[in-house]
Parts: sequence; structure tokens; C-alpha cells
Amino acid sequence: MRPMHLKPAILLSLCIGFSNWSMNTCAQNLDASNLYKRSLAASCTNCHGTDGKGVVDGGIPLINNLSSEQMLAQLKAFKSGAREGTIMPQLAKGYSDEQLETIANQLGKKQ
Amino acid sequence: MDRRHFIGNSTAALGLLAGFSGQAKASLQKAEILVIGGGYGGATAAKYLRLFSNNTAKVTLIEPNPTFISCPLSNLVVGGSRNLSELTSSYDMLSKRHGIKIIQDSVASMDPDKRTVKLSSGKTLRYDKAVVSPGVTLIMNSIEGLAQANKAAVTLQAWKAGPETDALHKQLAAMRDGGTFAISIPEAPYRCPPGPYERACQVANYIKQNKPKSKVLILDANQDVTSKGALFKKVWAEQYPGIIEYLPKYNVTAVDAKTKTIKFEIQEDIKADVLNLLPAMSAGEIAVKTGLANSNGRWVNVNFINFESTAQKDIHVLGDSIQVAYAMPKSGHMANQHAKVAAAAIVAELSGWEVNPSPVLTNTCYSFVNDKEVVHVASVHQYNASEKTFKPAPGSGGLSPAPSTLEGVYAWGWAHNIWADSLG
Repeated sequence: MRPMHLKPAILLSLCIGFSNWSMNTCAQNLDASNLYKRSLAASCTNCHGTDGKGVVDGGIPLINNLSSEQMLAQLKAFKSGAREGTIMPQLAKGYSDEQLETIANQLGKKQ
Repeated sequence: MDRRHFIGNSTAALGLLAGFSGQAKASLQKAEILVIGGGYGGATAAKYLRLFSNNTAKVTLIEPNPTFISCPLSNLVVGGSRNLSELTSSYDMLSKRHGIKIIQDSVASMDPDKRTVKLSSGKTLRYDKAVVSPGVTLIMNSIEGLAQANKAAVTLQAWKAGPETDALHKQLAAMRDGGTFAISIPEAPYRCPPGPYERACQVANYIKQNKPKSKVLILDANQDVTSKGALFKKVWAEQYPGIIEYLPKYNVTAVDAKTKTIKFEIQEDIKADVLNLLPAMSAGEIAVKTGLANSNGRWVNVNFINFESTAQKDIHVLGDSIQVAYAMPKSGHMANQHAKVAAAAIVAELSGWEVNPSPVLTNTCYSFVNDKEVVHVASVHQYNASEKTFKPAPGSGGLSPAPSTLEGVYAWGWAHNIWADSLG
């Protein structure tokens, strides 16, 4: 399920917690936040496919079989140098931990 | 809060949400968005404008060519190990799968005041937002005699993949054994920094197998190799000794088509059999004509937060046409990345949302040093709000340690994935 397709009732229940916000502001922030997450994850999709669905047998390792937790662990291992590679150790070092977490949540396989 | 109270509030809130949702998307849904140019930047922008708007934005793509032909990997066609059909993709999915209106035409002129675009066919289109991604223009008069030499079919550039790419391979194949293939490189910035050096490798790879007495001369206006220098020089010494000769600070000023002679600012004339002369480059013609090229009259200054032209509001410029940030290459991969940042910013703006204050770009560029082995350069560029530009993220990026066939596989994987991401 794409985050932007959250039903109003789900949005509403998420918004209840933000008692100081108007409902409009809350819904707006959820949509804007989803757009932010999708656009950040899109920085990976040149090589790993739109929404993380890479070309099968295309030559680049597929990532859409990983859960968000597994993906984040791999990204952090690339960043720390624990996992070797060609491109990924060099790219992972350019992202903050928060950005890697957002990307893993966005592109990881949903349960 | 008691249950009845909650339900009452929530019903009202749902109404508000629905109302808000309708209002917020109204301007996004009503806006006419025109994307000019269907290369790595424009095609990606069109697709991601639709994706990021949940298919609500009205997007029209204007592109003169019937199919997309990739510039990355086209040096393999020059060297003869691959053909153009392997680098060609259809635009069909952009219309069939993503609902983008595609007009096969070129843009004759833009009127930013009236917000209109005039097509070469004569039709005029109105826009609320324009995305301009026209690639580069080759400035033919930067080398005296080059336009005439091109007309006489003596020289060609093949710096935009297509029929010229095949034609250049044919010139190489027809060259006598013992001949010289000369490639000249303008001063940076130009499209695809490592491209000329990769091309020299591909031509040398062909020569090694087919015309071993021949030579490749690289005539570089720059002080040194502008990208992957140490890797390329090692390959030239180890794989192509006696075939590739590299001459830095050789600035081509003129060419004589009749005698196939190249003239330089400083050095003596050089004669060659195949003359692949790359002139200086600028932003694509429509960007220059519209007055967008406000950086030395050659490149387009943009606000990096949303890629809007600093010369004209509501015109967003992507890819090779822009004045780049520090260490940002003019590459297809980078154009795809520009497009996603611009698409997200346009959707946010038309929805009345704050534009992402911290966009990120990556670049990955593979170069084939023969028909199988590859070297890469990669980088990450984080937006710096105080300096209003993208800067390479400290500690990130880098080069291959050496050429490898594994990266040759990844290079093709990169190609198939980016074509699908931009067009599929």
C-alpha cells in the first residue's frame, strides 16, 4: 500500500494525537511528509527500480525482497564499512542515519 | 472526551479533511504542466510528477524524437561491440501506464510572460508550470570551419546518441590500418565529463582487434583528464600501449575539412583520418533562446531547492542545461535525480505545502574501458540551506579501485534500471 493512499479514517486516527493542530494542518503534514519520504527514497530508484522494484535479472542486486529492518541493517553496514561493495559503501556514507531509516521504511517489503 | 462527542467531532473533521483534500489538490489538478525534452531529465520529471501527485497532475511531455536513445553506453556503439537498438527505449509506457500526454514535436519558442510555448508545428500551448530539460547545444562556431566540415561529412560529433553514433563507427571501420582517430575535448564544463576518455578506450579496443597499426589521439583543452584520471591513464598504459596518446592543454581553434587538419591555440597543426571534434557546449537551444541561460550566457542558474530558473518564475530547468553546483557532473543519472527533486517541489508547491528543505542527489557513472570491464565514479550531494546549493556529502563517494567485469554487469544493470525508472 502506498502511504499517500491512507484512508481519511486512518489519517484522522493518526491526527487525534496532535490536539494542538487543526485537522487541515495535520492532514497536510501527513501528505507532505509522505511526499518527502517518497522523494528521498527516489534517490535510490535509478539503480534499484521505481518504488524499489528493480528490473529482474537486470544485473543490479534486487532489494525488494528485504524487510525494512533488513534493509536498514544492510545500509548501516555499508555506511560503517562492515559490508564491502562497489557503489553502495560510497553512497551510504553520504546519507544521515535518519535518511537511511526513512529510505528503508519506504522501500522495504511491507509485511 | 465521551464517545458521542468524539464521533461528532470526527464526522465534522472528516468533512473538513475531505474539503481540505479537495481544495489542496484543486490547483495541482488544474495546473497545466508542460515538460520540454524527453531525455533522462524530462522523461523522469514527467513520470514522477504523475507518481508524486498520485496521478492527479496534468502532464504533457514534448519531445521531437519518436524513441529514447541512451547517450550513456553509446560509446560501445562507436567501438562496434554493441548496437543502438540495445540502447533504445519506447516512450509508450509514459502515456499508457502513467497517463502522460506525449506530443512528438519540438518547441520553437517560449513566452514566459504569457506562459505559452509555441511548437514547431505552429500550435501554442499554455502552461502554469514548465519543466525545461533540453540537454546541451553544441556551439559549432567555437571551432572555425567545424560547421562546414560537418556539412561536408568530414567531421561529426556523435555527442547525442542516434544516427551520428552509427556514422562515427562507420568512419572508424572505414579508416585505413595505420590511421589516426582524433577526439578533441572542450574546456569543462561539457556533457558527460568521462565520456570522451571512455570513447577513446572503445575506439582503441576496436583498433587493437582490427587495425593494430592505428592510433587514437586525445586532444584535451583541459589541463588534465577531467574525470577518473588515474584510472583511465592506467588503462591506457596497460591495455592500449602505443595506441592511445593523450595530449593535455591542446585547445582546438579551427579545422580544415579539405586537408583534415586540426589547428590549435598554441601547438602545431595535426592531421588525422577520423576527426571527432567536440566543440564547447551550452544549455539546450530553447533555454538560451528564452533568456534562461543567465550564467555567462551559456548555462541556466537555478534555485537548487526546486530547480526553478532564477531568470523566470515557474520554469524549472533540469539536467545538462543548468549551471552545476560544485562537483556536480552533467550526467544522465544526475538529470534523473534533478527531475525527482523538481517534481516533488512542484507537487508540494501546487498543493500549498512546504517544499522539502533538504533534498539529496546521488550520481553514479560507469565507464567501459573495453567491451567488458568498467570503472565507476559515485557521489552524494546534500542540499546546504545556508549556502543554497548542493555540496558533496563529506566522506561519501569515490572511484573503483580498478576496472572489473563485475562492474561491467552492474553498468548494464544500471542502464536497464534507470531506463525503467525514467520511462517504464
